[in-house]
Amino acid sequence: MKPSPEIDIRRRSFLRQGASGLGLLALNSLMARAQGITTSHGVVNPLHFPAKARRVIFLYQAGGPSHLETFDWKPKLAEMHGKPMPPSFTKGQQIAQLQGRPLICYGPQLKFQRFGKCGAEICEHFPNIGGIADEICILRSMWTEQINHDPAHTVMNTGSIIAGRPSMGSWVFYGLGAETENLPGFVVLLSQGTGGQMQPIASRQWSAGILPSKFQGVKMNSAGDPVLYIRNPRGVNDAIQKDSIDSINALNEAEYKTLQDPEILTRVSQYEMAFRMQASVPDLMDMSKEPASVLERYGAHPGDGSFASNCLLARRLAERGVRFIQLYHRDWDHHAKVKSGVEYKAREVDRPTAALIGDLKERGMLDDTIVIWGGEFGRTPMSQGGDGRDHHIKGFSFMVAGGGFKRGLTYGTTDELGYAAEENPMSVHDFHATMLYLLGIDHKRLVKKYQGLDVRLTGVTGDVVKDILA
Amino acid sequence: MLTRAMLSALLLTTLGGAEVRFNRDIRPIMAETCFRCHGPDKSSRMAGMRLDIRDEALKPTARGTVPIVPGDPDKSGIIQRIFAPGARVMPPPYAHKELTEKQKATIRQWVAEGAKYEGHWAYQSVLRPAVPVGANPIDYFIRERLAREGMPPSPEADRRTLIRRVSLDLTGIPPTSEEVAAFLKDASPNAYEKVVDRLMASPRYAEQQAMHWLDDVRYADTCGFHGDNAFPAWPYRDYVLHAFRDNKPFDEFTREQLAGDLIPNATREQKVASAFNRLNRTSAEGGLQPKEYLAKYGADRVRTVSAVWLGSTLGCAECHDHKFDPFTSRDFYSMKAFFADIKETGLVPDRGANAWGSLLPLPSPEQDAKLKALQRQLETARAQLAEKMSSLEPARAAWEKQLLARYEAGELAWKNQRPLTAKSANGAVLTIHNDDELNFTSYDGGDLSAFRAKADGLVIASGPNPDNETYTVTFRPGEGTWRELGIELVQDESLPGIRLARGADRAVISELELDSGGRPVPFRSGMANVSNQAPEHLPVAAFDGDPKTGWAVNTYNEVPRVMLALRMKEPLRTQAGDVLTVRIRQDSDYRRATIGRFRIALSSGEYAWPNPEKGKEIPDAVRKALNVPEDQRTEAQKKAVEAHYQWANDDAWAEVDRVARLELAEALLEQQIPRVVVSESVEPRETRILPRGNFLDDTGDVVAPAIPAFLGKLDTPGRATRLDLANWLISPANPLTARVYANRLWRQFFGTGISKVLDDVGSQGEWPTHPELLDWMAAEFMHPEYQPAGTHPWDMKHLVRTIVTSATYRQASLPLPSDEKDPENRLLARQNRYRVDAEVVRDIALSVSGLIVEKFGGPSAKPYQPDGYLATLNFPKREYSASHGEDLYRRGVYTFWQRSFLHPSLLTFDAPTREECTVNRVNSNTPLQALVLLNDPIYVEAARVFAARILQHGGSIDWAFERAVSRPPTPEERRILTGLRDRTLTRFQRDPSAAQQLIGEGEAPVSHAFPPEELASMTTVARAILNMHETITRN
Repeated sequence: MKPSPEIDIRRRSFLRQGASGLGLLALNSLMARAQGITTSHGVVNPLHFPAKARRVIFLYQAGGPSHLETFDWKPKLAEMHGKPMPPSFTKGQQIAQLQGRPLICYGPQLKFQRFGKCGAEICEHFPNIGGIADEICILRSMWTEQINHDPAHTVMNTGSIIAGRPSMGSWVFYGLGAETENLPGFVVLLSQGTGGQMQPIASRQWSAGILPSKFQGVKMNSAGDPVLYIRNPRGVNDAIQKDSIDSINALNEAEYKTLQDPEILTRVSQYEMAFRMQASVPDLMDMSKEPASVLERYGAHPGDGSFASNCLLARRLAERGVRFIQLYHRDWDHHAKVKSGVEYKAREVDRPTAALIGDLKERGMLDDTIVIWGGEFGRTPMSQGGDGRDHHIKGFSFMVAGGGFKRGLTYGTTDELGYAAEENPMSVHDFHATMLYLLGIDHKRLVKKYQGLDVRLTGVTGDVVKDILA
Repeated sequence: MLTRAMLSALLLTTLGGAEVRFNRDIRPIMAETCFRCHGPDKSSRMAGMRLDIRDEALKPTARGTVPIVPGDPDKSGIIQRIFAPGARVMPPPYAHKELTEKQKATIRQWVAEGAKYEGHWAYQSVLRPAVPVGANPIDYFIRERLAREGMPPSPEADRRTLIRRVSLDLTGIPPTSEEVAAFLKDASPNAYEKVVDRLMASPRYAEQQAMHWLDDVRYADTCGFHGDNAFPAWPYRDYVLHAFRDNKPFDEFTREQLAGDLIPNATREQKVASAFNRLNRTSAEGGLQPKEYLAKYGADRVRTVSAVWLGSTLGCAECHDHKFDPFTSRDFYSMKAFFADIKETGLVPDRGANAWGSLLPLPSPEQDAKLKALQRQLETARAQLAEKMSSLEPARAAWEKQLLARYEAGELAWKNQRPLTAKSANGAVLTIHNDDELNFTSYDGGDLSAFRAKADGLVIASGPNPDNETYTVTFRPGEGTWRELGIELVQDESLPGIRLARGADRAVISELELDSGGRPVPFRSGMANVSNQAPEHLPVAAFDGDPKTGWAVNTYNEVPRVMLALRMKEPLRTQAGDVLTVRIRQDSDYRRATIGRFRIALSSGEYAWPNPEKGKEIPDAVRKALNVPEDQRTEAQKKAVEAHYQWANDDAWAEVDRVARLELAEALLEQQIPRVVVSESVEPRETRILPRGNFLDDTGDVVAPAIPAFLGKLDTPGRATRLDLANWLISPANPLTARVYANRLWRQFFGTGISKVLDDVGSQGEWPTHPELLDWMAAEFMHPEYQPAGTHPWDMKHLVRTIVTSATYRQASLPLPSDEKDPENRLLARQNRYRVDAEVVRDIALSVSGLIVEKFGGPSAKPYQPDGYLATLNFPKREYSASHGEDLYRRGVYTFWQRSFLHPSLLTFDAPTREECTVNRVNSNTPLQALVLLNDPIYVEAARVFAARILQHGGSIDWAFERAVSRPPTPEERRILTGLRDRTLTRFQRDPSAAQQLIGEGEAPVSHAFPPEELASMTTVARAILNMHETITRN
């Protein structure tokens, strides 16, 4: 419990002198102007390294996208189709639903094509992503350690299987603070997908864990209240709401005069921010001013809660200074019908993903925005039930763009059957370390003491993968 | 500029005494900067140098360096290296653990003084320090330290502050104005002690204590992984409530939770307590590897026991020896082995007959008697049915032929009806789609398909979505004779309740009624084609005349097209123009368990099986069996035919109906009987050390249950049990339990532990600010000596009483000049101020407003929660269904604890999800908290109910203010609130409908005693008061 451990001394001492919430806004704009690429508003200040990126958009493809039908072309697997998987690949390895079943090679179900000047091999059902092949970096040698959805999500997001560790968005928000006082620094969006493979996702995935809860991800919804409790009560209009908040703050400031407790002033500033959020969220969600050409480019229909609309919303959040934006898109769990399943997903995600990256680039934001595309694990080169693939952790693919990553690069390989990461294997922790590096953070130094340990996103491992940095 | 933490650290290390002491001054530095590479973990030890043990540190390393030469810093390797320039400096620059000049000097001085080591404080036996007779020893230790620092303690807080503080700390409920007044008036010398006694005797005390304990033991109402379904745990919560109410000795409390089932002749209560071992998260995800999850469950138990009783992070030794404390990996697995006898599976089923593993039913004597009586009746009824069926056996061959013939002639076919009208009782909009084409979605075994099809008499509900509804549909069936009424539930992906209902986690039809010419058509049996028919929702519930029971499709139905068929008592004849009316009553307690899309069908056939697909009017299995000559049928086929014959013949229906009604009654009673997960002891599984925690690696040693080796060895005749572990935990041989408990208790009353890191008293933890006080408290806990009358060993209430009656506790919390010197107030020259816990934030609003319903124990309650909050859960896809009536206003401790989506208001105020043991909640201050207090409907409802009470008190803002914070407002505060009232009154007078909306929030009755505008404007005043920082703060 008790007095908030993360005390922002600067703000507090400033406020103590000003003794009024009015000082806060001035301070914020002052801080905003002073913001450079070597400083931050968070606990990592100055930054450990000069930062290339200042924000992250993670297009999280939940369920475990098949690398073999997206970014990892395996002609040898096609040759082996229908033949037993050589035991040398699978002996002693973790298997999920295929436990105790015959392991049969299952060739790639979709065709690949070379895209861009770099000649990246990408599944032909992703032509729009192919169209920006020279902007992106494909990572083919990812691996993780958890083979079921829930723990695997937890590892991808928090670097640990133990519940209660902060998610990467919370770490980044904690480390760098936010560039907005009107919106949360870490926003989560969810879209359902329409293929039915809806694995559950727990709120633990965006939890602040052992960090103060102000760093937790705030989920925004396309239906109902965009943020929980953001709407005034029925019968309370904005004028009454403002009058009420002003009165509450006046009462709190009166208490502050007697007690001089800085926690009271923090409360005052939180009510101010709550009011600003109430005012700014509707503006954020209102896409009526977006030109039809932009909507068309993303394939977005505002209000439909689709991945496309969320991609557009992600850009608007990024523009408004939100530090970490995570879009979950569900329905990649293709135990059956992987072919039609990935085709289906491609139709949902290909265009908006490319639109977002292109749009950010045109707005000059891609250079300092990390865009990540990937899920909690990949899928087996072996078939499940004749037309599907099981969960797979030894090798899978990610795609990244912007924010200081190399462009037009395909990095790392899996073995010839797409089973295990072979050349330049990249663990989840390596990925975390690299992402933090681009944000100016040394993953070994962004720590929080808990139960006697220096808890960090990367546990006790993780190396920055410099080969993929521009 | 020095931060608060740095100032504080300086204060703790440099004040009070010149001689350097290992535990106080050196160990914290070394733990932070040296032990990672030169500590207990041999796998990461560098240069063969170990510094945490003196003998090791005095030995030369392989290179000949002597790390420490007592009395001779210049010859000591570590001193040379920590003062070394450039790259040779220790710790190495890459570690980012630079020593300050002061720290270096301290280490040097310590070596010069002889490098005296001390055993780690927490691992030393608890020795009761001497205290002066008379005074409360807590005050003695606190004041002695303050005096050394030249810091005077604060005077006692004013009585208003004091009674509010002690009421919130002990009960979580602020005092009433009457209680404040009585305390102010009481001139007796023990006025305060009387208040304490009253509060501690209240059941609220138990609720407040339970709240903290439930965090420790990771108590929750759902299983945590994957589908995160509800599991039966709340009777354990009630056990904890009773333990605190009855002041159960902590040793007994410990024994019962860890090993209640192993206590000879264990009582029901002791078995319930053993649920503690089963509160870990469990998974029912298909494709999990059982071994991996058994490893996870075991590790969770080690972490929990280790944190709660040992204040230690033994969990860190799952993959390697502990880096800072003397716990080995072997210790971790030896601890895990204590729990290897608990009956469990890796995949813990979350549905069906084997759901949740070992369960203990807890019927009351009345329930037990009633159940036995019902079971006897059921036995008789089943025997009668069997008898009847054997008498009908000769007719079966003919029936089989006839059934097949009718089926083949199409006589069983269902005829979808074309509704003429469809009306709802409570506002839902029903639209009829007879012949148009529509979009459909269908989820079938993991695949979702979308298609267009003829609507074919589909009725769709949209618009307003009330909790209960009755749909009335009329249609003209044409000329015919009808024997069955069918209702098909049509799925759609947009429907949040298992794709069938507009809410909840099920679709419930409480009564299905059919009228012909104004007369009801009675039914005599029912059948549905769902795959997992819950017995409490049998089809008979849809025509039993009881609106509280209902037929339902609930969790995990795997049939894509669901249908309920009710058999009419007599065939119904209709003429060409006759209009029939169907009423679908949906009045269950589940909110919005209302059907989103449906069709109505009739069949004139003999016992058409409920399946809307053409050609499926006999179940596939039965149809196949019927085509097999009798003597060649398999057992399963015979059973299928027999079951169908039982249902589908005209002569046994009365017996069938009697059995169905009794089965429903039994299931409804069973549903009311609480159940709880418990520990059940079986032959212990083999426990191996898993190298690097890898469950696939079977090469590690097999270990037997044992306590951490450095803390001793259990002397048991055979394999040590959980009971042996529990007995050791509360034995004098274990130095940790009493200290750790006392330390956590301290935090409840001062905001911070005596050692701040509550879950780690090891070397990475914090040297206690008052080690002797902590030892005294630990000793006093085990064997009360201070005011011992009426106490017993391990007396939890005694320890609490000793704390809250101390002068230290009763001090004012006002700022002091010495705050500069001790910014975190660790020396307690005053009391602390902090926000109350999440549950108490809720309890304050409920009790101040008068909304609160205080009921001790019972099933968890579901307060209002925003729609869609559970949208990303699946298996099943579901919507939240809030409780009704009183259960909406229960204390926070009773809130249904959904681990993966904890109630957002609690989560926002830092309540832990309890996926893991949490002994130290954080306390944050965020804008989302402001949004909760301003806009969460329960706080708005509390404000408008509070406003009505204020108006009953003559509209006195002074009364209201005092009710919330136990003091009258200052003139300035009064002016602020009157101003708000007057301005909003004007606004509401201009917009009376807004006033009506505001005062209508929530389900509590609306007061009509006052003009709505006045009530609304006073609601804004009440809301402001409930939002004040002071209201949610204990000062």
